[in-house]
Formats: sequence, C-alpha cells, structure tokens
Amino acid sequence: MFSFILRRLGLLIPTFFGITLLTFSLIRLIPGDPIEVMVGERSLDPQMHAAALHRLGLDKPLYLQYIDYVVNLAHGHLGDSLITRVDVWTEFTTLFPATLELAICAMIFAVVLGLLAGIVAAIKRGSLFDHGVMGLSLTGFSMPIFWWGLILIMFFSVRLGWTPVAGRIDLAFDIPPRTGFMLIDTWLASSRDPSLSGAFVDALKHLILPTIVLGTIPLAVIARMTRSSMLEVLREDYVRTARAKGLSPSRVIFIHALRNALIPVLTVIGLQVGVLMGGAVLTETIFSWPGIGKWLIDAIQRRDYPVVQNGILLVATLVILVNFVVDILYGVANPRIRHAK
Amino acid sequence: MTQTQNAAPDEAAVVYPSPFKEFWQGFSHNKGAVVGLAFMTLILLAAILAPWIAPYSPIEQYRDHMLVPPVWSDGGTSQFLLGTDEAGRDILSRLIWGARQSLFIGLSSVLMALIPGVVGGLLSAFFPKLLGSSIMRLMDVLMALPSLLLAVAIVAILGPGLINSIIAISVVSLPAYVRLTRASAMTELNRDYVTAARVSGAGLLRLMFVTVLPNCLAPLIVHATMSFSSAIIDAAALGFLGLGVQPPTPEWGMMLASARDYIERAWWVVSLPGLTILLSVLAINLMGDGLRDALDPKLKRAA
Repeated sequence: MFSFILRRLGLLIPTFFGITLLTFSLIRLIPGDPIEVMVGERSLDPQMHAAALHRLGLDKPLYLQYIDYVVNLAHGHLGDSLITRVDVWTEFTTLFPATLELAICAMIFAVVLGLLAGIVAAIKRGSLFDHGVMGLSLTGFSMPIFWWGLILIMFFSVRLGWTPVAGRIDLAFDIPPRTGFMLIDTWLASSRDPSLSGAFVDALKHLILPTIVLGTIPLAVIARMTRSSMLEVLREDYVRTARAKGLSPSRVIFIHALRNALIPVLTVIGLQVGVLMGGAVLTETIFSWPGIGKWLIDAIQRRDYPVVQNGILLVATLVILVNFVVDILYGVANPRIRHAK
Repeated sequence: MTQTQNAAPDEAAVVYPSPFKEFWQGFSHNKGAVVGLAFMTLILLAAILAPWIAPYSPIEQYRDHMLVPPVWSDGGTSQFLLGTDEAGRDILSRLIWGARQSLFIGLSSVLMALIPGVVGGLLSAFFPKLLGSSIMRLMDVLMALPSLLLAVAIVAILGPGLINSIIAISVVSLPAYVRLTRASAMTELNRDYVTAARVSGAGLLRLMFVTVLPNCLAPLIVHATMSFSSAIIDAAALGFLGLGVQPPTPEWGMMLASARDYIERAWWVVSLPGLTILLSVLAINLMGDGLRDALDPKLKRAA
C-alpha cells in the first residue's frame, strides 16, 4: 500500500512542474504590456516604464524569470495582484470558501439525487420512470449550463420572485466572515444576534439556483453511471444467491448490490471535481458569485498576470490533489489496482 | 439494449450483411439516434443553405422593430417568425447563420484534436518507455486544468476570435484522444495478428496506421461524436464570456451574452439561442449513443 502511494506521488511531481511551466509560459505570451495595464490609460515616460519592468523582474531573460518564479513558489510567494495589490494567496483563500461552499452543495445535490434516480431506474428497468431518468440525464448532460442558469433566473427570480438574482447574501445583512462559508456564518451570526435571524434563509435562497446549475451535469453523469453499474451488479450470481436465501429486497439492493455498484460511481464522482471547477467559472459569472471562477475570469480580462498565473496554478494543484486522493481511495477499495504495475 | 441473439446455429448458413448494412441495422435499432441524425441533418442543411433560406441578413438592424416577440405570442408579427433582438435583428436568421459558426468550430476542433491525438496515442503505445511516458505526463498536465478554464486562458493569450476558439477547444480535447488511442492500441499490440505482421516484416508506420489503428477506430469514432457536442458547448461558452466569435458575426453563445440584459422583458431573446444549442448537442449525443451500439457493442453496457 505504502509503495503504491509513493508511486502515485512520484507521478505528481512532474505533473506539477509541467503545470508551473504551462502557467508561466501561458501568461508571458499574452499580448499587451503589463505595465501599461497597471497604469491604465495614462502614458508613462520610458524611464519609469523601464524601472517598473525592472522592479517586477520582467526585464530578465525568460528562463531566469521562470527560475525566479519557481523559487518564489517554493518560498510560498505567489505574488501580488497588479490591480488590488493584495497577494494572490490571500485573495485565493478569501474567495475559495465561496466556491467550495457552492461546489459542496452542488455535489450533495448531484450525488443524492443521482444515486436515488439511478438506483430506482435500475430496479424498475424499462419502466416509464427509467425512460424518464435516462431521457432527463441525457438532456442534463447536453445542457449548456450558462443558458440553464439564465433560464432558471428568468423563471424563478424574475417571474416568480422566489430567489434572488445574484450574489451570496442580501446587502442588508452584515455578516462577519468567520469560516467563509455563508451558511455557517449566517447560522453563527443569527444565534448571537436575533436581528440577523433571516440571514440564514436568505443565504440559502441565494445558494439554490447556483447549486442546481452547477450540479446539473454531475447529476446527469452520476445517475447514468449508477443505473448502468447497478444493472451490471444485479445480474451477478451473488445477488441471485442473496435473493434465494430469502433476504429482503431492500437488503439485497442496498447491502449486496449497491456496495459493489458504487465502485465505478465513486471514480466518476472523483472525476467531477475538475468538471465542477470548470463549471464554477460559468456559474459564478452568471450569478455574480464572488468565488474563484469569477475571480479568474476577471483577472484574465484585466490581464492581472500574477492572479491568472497562480490562480490557475492553485486550481490545477487542487484538481490533481483531489484526483490523487481518489486514486488512493480506489486502490484501497480495489486491490487489483493497487498491485498492478 | 437487450441481449438476445445468442449462438449462431449454423455458421455456414449465415449470410453476412455488407458492413454498411450491418452498421445501419445497429444504428437504426436505436430510435433516439435516428431522431438525432434527422435533427442534425436539418441543422447541417440550414448551415449550408443559410444565404438562401434565412429570411433576412443576420446583421441587418431593423430599428423600427426592436425586441419584437415571436409570431405566436402577443405582439408578434409574421414578418419576424422568431422575433427580433435588442438591435432589431431577426433571430431566426441569426440562428440559421449561427449554425455555420457552431458546426464549423465543432468539426474543425474535432479534426484538430483527433489527428494529433491519434498520432500521439499511437506513438506512446509503440514507445511506452521514454517518449510514451513523456507524452502521457504532458497530457496529465493538460488534464489537470479544468477544460473551460484552460480554453479561456488560451483564448485570452491568442486573443478572441473564431480560429483561436478552435485552437483552444482542440488543445483542451486533445488528452482524451491520446489516452483513448493509447489504451486501445496497447491492447491490440499484444494480439497475435500484430506479432504476425511484425514477424513478416511490416514497417513501423505500416504497423501503426494499417495494422493497429483500424482496430482502434470504433471507440475513437464514438468519442469524436461526443467531443463534437462538447466542442459546440465550449464554443458557445466562450462566446457567452465574450471570448469567442466576435460581433457582429452571429454565434449562438454570443447571442446569449447580450441577452442577459433583457431577461426581464424579452424571454425569446434568452430562450431561443440556448434551446438551439441544447437541441443540437442533445441530437449529437443521441447519435453518439447509436454509433456506440452499432460500432462498439462491447461498450454498450458500460456507459
């Protein structure tokens, strides 16, 4: 087991360096001058321009800039935003809880509904419900989620007025950020200050539509995967044996079949983390959700080099770490993978 | 869907259908696939015939007819069947012309990912040691980045536009082709027929492209169909973020970017372009399911 983890960890290192090389070169190739972006429309005399380039180390040869970059990373310096002057790590850690909260809610939504729908569809194979689930999941899988968000806003926020259009919380509530998770913060705040009692419900209302939008594609994938994996397992001899022993149908399905059916589903769930981070870019843009996705898009549009570079680096690192953990868990669950070369 | 046909009773008596007929039998067995094919044929025809069938120019602005609703709702006129947008442009004509952009981006990015992906996959299967593992590490790097984020970053560097969207989308979809080709080529490489070809002196290129590749095609074709649909979505997403095809060229995703401001008073401006994207993507995915049933029965139960 230990050597399996070490082997996987060994694969991570070249990937990580590859990503630093990619983020480094991506950003150097962007057309336009970073100094001009910083000073905006005002013109700058050449001397000050050169001095600014020198101060930021942008006048060195590229390979030296790369070495500087990696050395800084090794020291934990991710640079400051050119626009806000706040360091990238602080910005990332301030905004990340918003994305994480949204992603967790979306994942819970997708896993709970997806597993249920998939299991019931597999049990009632060929029924109207089964066809409905398969049709809906194919539709969900094909959904352009930025449009889906607009349609949900149009219907639930504009027509019915049930949910707010944008943001995480109504401006009327002044919630001290303690954990960065709005649901927890509002809960804590309202338990101490009764005037904030509506804040939790308000935060929940803000969260509903983005959760649905971000969770739609994972939901569709999980429902499909659960169904086909359940169908596979339900055909196995040991399921028939369990039935023949006279076990109750629910015990056969949830204890005997589901456990084994879950293995491929878990892999799919792990793979959705990358999908969620990509989806967060669009979802956060539509709902003005102050998270990592919107931050990165804004940074790209403002040519905020350090933010784009290290923001993408942080997101990619996160994705490979999660995939690493999923790999390990998969190895724990399945010895055949652990011992394969 | 069901697994009925079991054993062939008498091999000699079986008349094998032509490959195409056999393919069509498998494909048309899946009704959704046939519907998808019909819809995509329609979209393809609309794209090709756009200059002749679109009622108006997609960029002509009728200033007296701004935000006219579709013909079936109150205030709609038969002059503009699907209504007009905020600048008084005919939505139906923009959708028809937009099909050109979407299909073009989809097709070209599939080709631009498929060809290098297949070559890279074959190379890494034939030379698994140094070359193969470095190709795979490179693909790991690309896969670690969420695809849309990578596409956005690439477009941000190259600048927005049609060609750059295609490049971005093909780079993003490259790793899947490499991995898929490598995986199926690796299994084929252990087969006896490959050894036989090698022993009888087939060269490397012949082994790669004539002996092994044809036997890896089925999953590749199915995946190419699926990635065609995701290319359309990604292109629309880039357009929506203002990084794709630039105005005034009509593109489905870009039509939605400007529609956001009219969400409160013009549902048709918001709904119709997205519905077109959804239906096209759905149709292609249905076709992909049918292709899988017809070409790759092994995969049938997997997805």
